[in-house]
Amino acid sequence: MWRLAWRNLWRQKARSLVTASAVALVVLSTLLFFGLAEAMKNGMFQVLTERAGHLVVTRAGADEAREFDAHLIREAARVEAALREVAGEGELAVLLEVPVLASGGSRSRGIQLVGLRQTPGLERQFAQDYLSAGRLPDPDSLDEIVLGEALARALRVDVGEVVYIFAPGTEGLGAGAYTLVGLLDFPEAALEGRTAYVSLAAAQELAAPEAATRFQLHLPDLHRITDEDRLEQVRDRLAQPLGPELHVKTWREAEPGLATLLDLVDPIMLVFNGLGFVLAGLLVVNTVYLSLAERIREFGVIIALGADRWRVMRMVISESLVLVLTGTAVGTALGLGLIARLAQGFRFPNALTEYTVEFGIPAVMYAGLTTGQLVITILFAVGTALAAALWPAWVAGRLQPVEAMRHVT
Amino acid sequence: MEPILQAKGVTKIYTTGGIQTPALQGVDLTIQKGEFTAIAGPSGSGKSTLLHLLGGLDRPTAGETWLGDRRTDQLDAVALAHVRLWEIGFVFQAYNLIPVLTALENAAFVLELQGRPRREREAKAMAALEALDMAAYAHRRPNQLSGGQQQRVAIARALAAEPQVILADEPTANLDSQTGRALIELMKRLNQEQGVTFVFSTHDPRLLEHVTRIVRLEDGRVVRDERGPGA
Repeated sequence: MWRLAWRNLWRQKARSLVTASAVALVVLSTLLFFGLAEAMKNGMFQVLTERAGHLVVTRAGADEAREFDAHLIREAARVEAALREVAGEGELAVLLEVPVLASGGSRSRGIQLVGLRQTPGLERQFAQDYLSAGRLPDPDSLDEIVLGEALARALRVDVGEVVYIFAPGTEGLGAGAYTLVGLLDFPEAALEGRTAYVSLAAAQELAAPEAATRFQLHLPDLHRITDEDRLEQVRDRLAQPLGPELHVKTWREAEPGLATLLDLVDPIMLVFNGLGFVLAGLLVVNTVYLSLAERIREFGVIIALGADRWRVMRMVISESLVLVLTGTAVGTALGLGLIARLAQGFRFPNALTEYTVEFGIPAVMYAGLTTGQLVITILFAVGTALAAALWPAWVAGRLQPVEAMRHVT
Repeated sequence: MEPILQAKGVTKIYTTGGIQTPALQGVDLTIQKGEFTAIAGPSGSGKSTLLHLLGGLDRPTAGETWLGDRRTDQLDAVALAHVRLWEIGFVFQAYNLIPVLTALENAAFVLELQGRPRREREAKAMAALEALDMAAYAHRRPNQLSGGQQQRVAIARALAAEPQVILADEPTANLDSQTGRALIELMKRLNQEQGVTFVFSTHDPRLLEHVTRIVRLEDGRVVRDERGPGA
């Protein structure tokens, strides 16, 4: 039956080739879209978790609280020790985020001051990604600060000049003068205009001795969004030693909006790719139906010789399957080859990169394809072949042998 | 005598555009096993229609058709296909070979529909081609064969499945005189040596010279049923 189907398709070489090529193109584009979407998701995941960590520890209820002290984790050292014990090889950042008034002499602005202490690996990465001038504050320094470039411009200060910080109503000194030692260039202009960094010790001295507002845990070898099961296991292990006063969140819980956005990528891709298969399916229907219409007499003979309607329907469906699966094989081979190449790393054209970086998509991305996406693509193709063959098969299955053998094409 | 095909009071009326055209009117006919029978008559007399009804390709408007002791006009489409597949062989005027298959594959086609293993069907198809002196052309496609050779392959296709009866609709109509005569002798030999029952619709006098029985139709009625010269 398959041999007959294959040979029948070759009767109209041009038509079959055009249809199989269309299917191959749809399969190729589907795999490519999946691969690029996966690259985008993993890229956004990477950017987000590089900055905010895979797991975040905050005080329970802090998200809803407006008061500064409701955010404070008082015994920061104890929490840090517990995290280091459970996290093993993971890297840790301890943050104290303080709403402050920053002044550059003649100008001032309400900003978020972040006291930051992070492991050397994270610090190197931070400097590499965002430091545009000068250096980061020394971890033990109590009087050094770095500002976002936009904020420095707004305050009209430059590296080497003094920035005054006021944190009224807090538990520390409440005010301090800091030397600007570096500038930060964030992709997001809004973040760059309202963020300043000092050492954790400096922030604690200013606003809350021995306290922190956030711990960010970066787990090693966790680069794909699909590795989330592992994250949840670590989160559950952390929850017990930290107690009910602290809340351990995965990046997904910490950034629900972004998580929802990333979760929408796959369904949108499915719908989009599904439309491609619908269009290819219409072409397959046309090809299979024309093939049937041109061979009504032949089908009449086959029925006369003893093929029942189910057999005839299977013959039509097998032609559709052979046609579509041939295209699918070619499209899959090309698609996998292309994705393997893009998996080595690719970047959009420079003009486009400026915009994608603004949305948290890294400049260099790595395409990927899951087994599930490959299976879905092939199932789409098989579904298209079956759906496209249904009507012609139904017509063929109801042919009457005598009438069909008298048919004039 | 053992009846293999029977038509009892068979009437067939075609309706086209509201106009009814009777093709057969109350035909009674019994074909015995081993007969070499021709259904003869002028064009439009109902020969092909009767052959189609006897072979289960169509259903009568009234009357009964029987294959052996089974009434076939009441079978559903699937059961009727099963009867055609396993018990009746067909040879058509226009050969009707499948163009993308070789002679061997065409001869084996019914066996493939029967679901027989590849080795068995190829052996039987090749044996049928050999019986028809077509083994040398086994791997040629229909467009590489002459009309007579194609009709031999069509007979091989009918023969390979070892049916009880072969129904042939004007089998020599498209063949030249010499090829037609050779084919008739071949079918006669198969009838005599292998006991295959043949029923032809024909108005070819060359074929009528060899049959054992001639059933003559006119205007959808049997007007004469006589022993043929070949009896």
